[in-house]
Amino acid sequence: MSNPFRQTRRVATAALLFALSAGTAMAQIAMKPVPYWADDVAAGKLPPVDQRIPEHPLVVDMAQKGRTTGAQGGTLHTMVTRDKDIRQMVVYGYARLVGYDEQYNLVPDILESVENIDDTVITLHLRPGHKWSNGDPFTSEDFRYWWEDVANNEELSPSGPPDFLIVNDKLPAVTFPDETTVVFEWDAPNPDFLQTLALASPPFIYRPAKFLKQYHAKYAEDGSLQSAIVNAKASSWAALHNKLDNMYKFDNPELPTLQPWVNADTGNKIRHRFVRNPYYHRIDSTGQQLPYIDAVEMEIVAGGLVAAKSYAGEVDLQGRGLDFADIPVLKKGEKENGTFKVLLWPTGVASQLAIYPNLNVDDPVWREVLRKADVRRALSLGIDRPGLNKALFFNLAVPGAMTVLPESPMFQEKFRESYAVRDVEKANALLDAAGLDKKGADGIRLLPDGRPMEIVIETAGERQEEENALQIITDNWKDIGVKLVMRPLDRDILRNRVYAGTSMASTWYGWDNGLPQPFTSPSYLAPMQQDFQAWPKWGQYYQTGGTAGEAPDMPEAIRLMELADAWEKATSDEERFQIWTEMLAIHADQLYGIGTVNEAPQPIVVSNRLRNVPERGMWAWDPGAHFGVHRMDEFYFADGE
Amino acid sequence: MTQLPDGRYVDDAPFDADAGLTAPERADLDAPSAVLIWRKFRKHKLGLISGAFLVLCYLLLPVAGFFAPYTPNDRHPDHQFKPPENIRLFHDGSFVGPFIYPVEEVLDTETFTYKYVPDTSNPLPLKFLCLGDQWHFFGLVPSNRHLFCSPTADPIFLWGSDQLGRDVFSRILYGAQLSLTVGLIGIAVSFTLGISLGAMAGYFGGRLDWIIQRVIEILRSLPELPLWLALSAAVPSNWGPVAVFFIISIILGILDWPGMARAVRAKFLSLREEEFVRAAEMMGAAPNRVIRKHLLPNFSSHLIASATLSIPSMILGETALSFLGLGLRAPAVSWGVMLNDAQNLASIEIYPWLAIPMIPIIVIVLAFNFFGDGLRDSLDPYES
Repeated sequence: MSNPFRQTRRVATAALLFALSAGTAMAQIAMKPVPYWADDVAAGKLPPVDQRIPEHPLVVDMAQKGRTTGAQGGTLHTMVTRDKDIRQMVVYGYARLVGYDEQYNLVPDILESVENIDDTVITLHLRPGHKWSNGDPFTSEDFRYWWEDVANNEELSPSGPPDFLIVNDKLPAVTFPDETTVVFEWDAPNPDFLQTLALASPPFIYRPAKFLKQYHAKYAEDGSLQSAIVNAKASSWAALHNKLDNMYKFDNPELPTLQPWVNADTGNKIRHRFVRNPYYHRIDSTGQQLPYIDAVEMEIVAGGLVAAKSYAGEVDLQGRGLDFADIPVLKKGEKENGTFKVLLWPTGVASQLAIYPNLNVDDPVWREVLRKADVRRALSLGIDRPGLNKALFFNLAVPGAMTVLPESPMFQEKFRESYAVRDVEKANALLDAAGLDKKGADGIRLLPDGRPMEIVIETAGERQEEENALQIITDNWKDIGVKLVMRPLDRDILRNRVYAGTSMASTWYGWDNGLPQPFTSPSYLAPMQQDFQAWPKWGQYYQTGGTAGEAPDMPEAIRLMELADAWEKATSDEERFQIWTEMLAIHADQLYGIGTVNEAPQPIVVSNRLRNVPERGMWAWDPGAHFGVHRMDEFYFADGE
Repeated sequence: MTQLPDGRYVDDAPFDADAGLTAPERADLDAPSAVLIWRKFRKHKLGLISGAFLVLCYLLLPVAGFFAPYTPNDRHPDHQFKPPENIRLFHDGSFVGPFIYPVEEVLDTETFTYKYVPDTSNPLPLKFLCLGDQWHFFGLVPSNRHLFCSPTADPIFLWGSDQLGRDVFSRILYGAQLSLTVGLIGIAVSFTLGISLGAMAGYFGGRLDWIIQRVIEILRSLPELPLWLALSAAVPSNWGPVAVFFIISIILGILDWPGMARAVRAKFLSLREEEFVRAAEMMGAAPNRVIRKHLLPNFSSHLIASATLSIPSMILGETALSFLGLGLRAPAVSWGVMLNDAQNLASIEIYPWLAIPMIPIIVIVLAFNFFGDGLRDSLDPYES
C-alpha cells in the first residue's frame, strides 16, 4: 500500500509559493439556491446565493478528490463531553487562512493565495467579495483592526501580539496595501508562520472589525458602550470586548465567523445547534454552496456515555470520546443496529501510553537516579511491549519507543527500536552499573539512601488502558527489581503535582504530533514546554523567560535547546531535516519519555447515511484537527435529510 | 398405660396433686439463656441457614487459596476475556467425570473479540488435589495443593477471565478475604468507640454528655462521600494494599460509631435510674464496674443484633469506595476493585461475567441481614 500521508517537501526558497492555487479560478459556475435559506431569500432577509459567496469562491471538484457530489440538507448529530467543547466546531469546520489538505500540503483556504518570499515577506491575498457570516465584508480592514486595535492594544492584549509573530525579539511590519492584501514582513525568516495559521487551534489574526468596533473604546460611542458594559456586567470595555471576541471558543452566537457552521444558540445548554454559514466561501463544481449538511447538533454528555450512545446509534459521526477499548462494543452495535459503520483510523500520537520519569522531582535521591540515562534505559528494556500490545490492543498497535511515526519523513526504524525490546539481563546489568546493585529481602533494589526502589507512577485515572498497561509493567519490572506503584489521580491534580515536582513519574500519551514535517516546529522536543512531563520546571523556566522554574542543567537537554534554536534560524529544509533528526536521535538515546506502543487505531462511528467520510483517514489533532483535514463540509447525507 | 374396654386410655401412675403445674416451664426458665436463645433461633429457618452459610464462608477465608486454582494477579496472556468454562460430565454419551475440552484462542477481526474454539474430540478430565501456584495457609504456611487444576497447560476459568487473563473465580475467592473482613474490623472499631463513648455520655451525663453529643452531631452533619474521599486521599500511595485495607476499615469504623453511641446513651439514661444500679452504687461499686457488670449485659442482645446488621453496610461501604476508585487499589483484590474494573459498557454488553462479583455481594449482604434478623428475634428469650 502506498503511503497516503507522504508529504511533498516544501521548497522554502521559492519566491512564489502557492500563488493562485487550483480551484479558485472560475466563478462562472451557475450557483444553485440553497434550500435551507430559500425562505429567507424570498423574504428578502438574505441576498441570493451568488451574491453571498466571494467573487472567486473556492471550488471543490469532488470527483477529482475521489469523492461524490452530494445534496444539501440534513442535521448531523455528534457528542462532546464538556460544555466548552463546542469549540470543536471550529476544529472540525477547519476554515483557516491556509490549511492542510489530505496529503498534508499547506494550501490557501480562506485566502485566495499566499506569496512567500524566503519566509520573511509573506503576502496574504483575500478573496474579493468574501463576507462574514452576518454579511459584513471580510477585508484587510479586519486584519488591520486585529493588528492595531486588538493585538497591539495594551488593554486587550496585555502581553502583546502572539509569540509566533516575534522573530529575534522583533515584531513584523504589517501593511495593508489594499482591501484584499495583507503583508507581513520580518527581518529574518519566520518559518513557523504559515504552519501556525493551519493549526487545529490557530491564532486568529483577523477579527470581524465592524461587529467588534461597537465594543472598542476607540470606535464606539461612549453612551452605547457604557450601557453595553453595564448590561453585560463586565468590569471594563476590554473585559467585554475579550468576552465577546472569542473566535476559537465559539461561544458567542453574535460574533460573525468564517467557519462552515455558525453557532445558532437556542438557549439549550445540553444540545447546541450550529447552522450553515450563508456566506461560506467554498462551493462544489456543480454550483452548490458548501457545507452540504445544513446543521450540526452537538450534544453534551458524560464521558462514559459517548460509547454507550454511539453503540445505540444515536450519532451520525463520532470520534472524540471513543477509545480503542470501545471497539468491541461498537462493532457489536454496528452488527445489531445496522445503521452505522465503525471505521478504524490510524492515530497521530507518538505513543499510546508513555511513562515520563520526572527529571525535576523534588526528592534529591530520586532525581539523581532518574537523571541517569541508564536507569531510564533499563526501565524501558524491562517492558514487554508485545505482551502489552497483545493484551490491550489485539496486536493492532506497533510496539516501540516514543518517536515519530513512519508517516513522518524523519522516521527511522532504529529510533523506534531503541531500548524497546525486552532484555531483562541487560536491564539488570545497567541498573547494577548505575549503583542500584543492592537488593532488599523482597528482591527490590535499594536506592543509594537505603529506601526500596518503589517508583510511584501517577496517572490521570481516565483510561482503563493505562491501569491495565501499568499492571503489566508492574509484573515486568518485578524481574528487574523495580517495584511500580500506580496512583490514579485526577487530570488537573496530576498536572499540578508534576509541575510542582511532587510527582516522581507520570503517564500520558506520547507527543501529540507524531507526524511532523521538517517545517514543523520541534519546540516540543526541547525543554521549552512545561506540559512535557519529564521536565516541567525546565519548560516553565523557558516559558516564563527565566522568572520561574529551573534552567536545564543536563548536557543533552541543553543541546536540544540549542537545536530548537538553530531550527528557528535555519534557512533550508535540508538543514531543518538534519536538526530534527539529531533531536530525535537524542530522544531515542535518552528516553525522556518511555514509549510503549503506538499507532493504535481510533474507532470512528459513521452513520450509514453519511457519505464522503474517508474509509481510512488519519485521526490527529495537529496537524489534522481531527475531522478538519477530512473536510467535514464535504460530508453529506445520502437521503439529503 | 391401660386401655379400658370402651377403648379409652388411662394413665396407671397415681395422681400427685403436689407436682407443680409449671414443671415443664420451670425447666425452661431455669435453662441457661444460651440454650433458650438457640432454641428460639432454631425456629428461624432463614436465619439459621444464613448463619450456617456465613460461618462456612468465614471458615473458608484462610484456605481460599486451596479452592482457587490461581493466585489473584496471575495473568494468562493468551486467554483474555474467556467466557466461563463449561464443565461437562458426559463425552459421546459416556460418563467421563468432570472434564473440559482444550480451546484455542482466535481473534475475530470482525467483532474485535476473542473467540475460543473448543476441540471437542479430546475430553480432558480435571485434576483434583493437584499441585499449582503457591498460596499461604492462614497467610503463613505455604502450600501448593489446590482442590482442582486444569489438566493441560491451558488455564481453567470457572467464571471466565478478565482483560489481562486473570481468573474471575480465583479473584472472587481472594477478594472475599478483604471484602468480608473489612466489615469485622470496621465493626470492632465502631463498637469500641460507640459503646465506650455512649456509655460515658449516658452514665455520667452533664458536661461530658454535652461534649460527646456535639461531637456526634458534627460527625453526623458531615457529608459522607466527600469525607471518605478526603480520608482515603490522605493514605500515602506507596503503602501496601494490606495497610490501605486496614486504614479503610478503620475509616469506615470511625464514621460509623455515632449511631451506636446514641443508642447506648439512650439505654443508659433509662437504666441508670433502675434500683439495681442504685444498689450497686450504694455498695460502693466504681462506675467502671457498674457499667460493665450491671448495665451492659442488660442490652447485649441489642448490641449483637445491631452489630450483625451493621456488617453488611460496612461491606457495601468498602465496595462503594473501591468501585469509585478510592478504596482498595490494584494489586489488592476485593469485590469492589473487581466491580470497578467492570464498570464500562463493554463489560455489560460483551463480557457480562466480569460483573459476577455482584452476586457474592448480594448473597453475603442478604445472609447477614437474615442472620441478624433471626438473632434479634431470638436474643430476648423471655419475650414471646
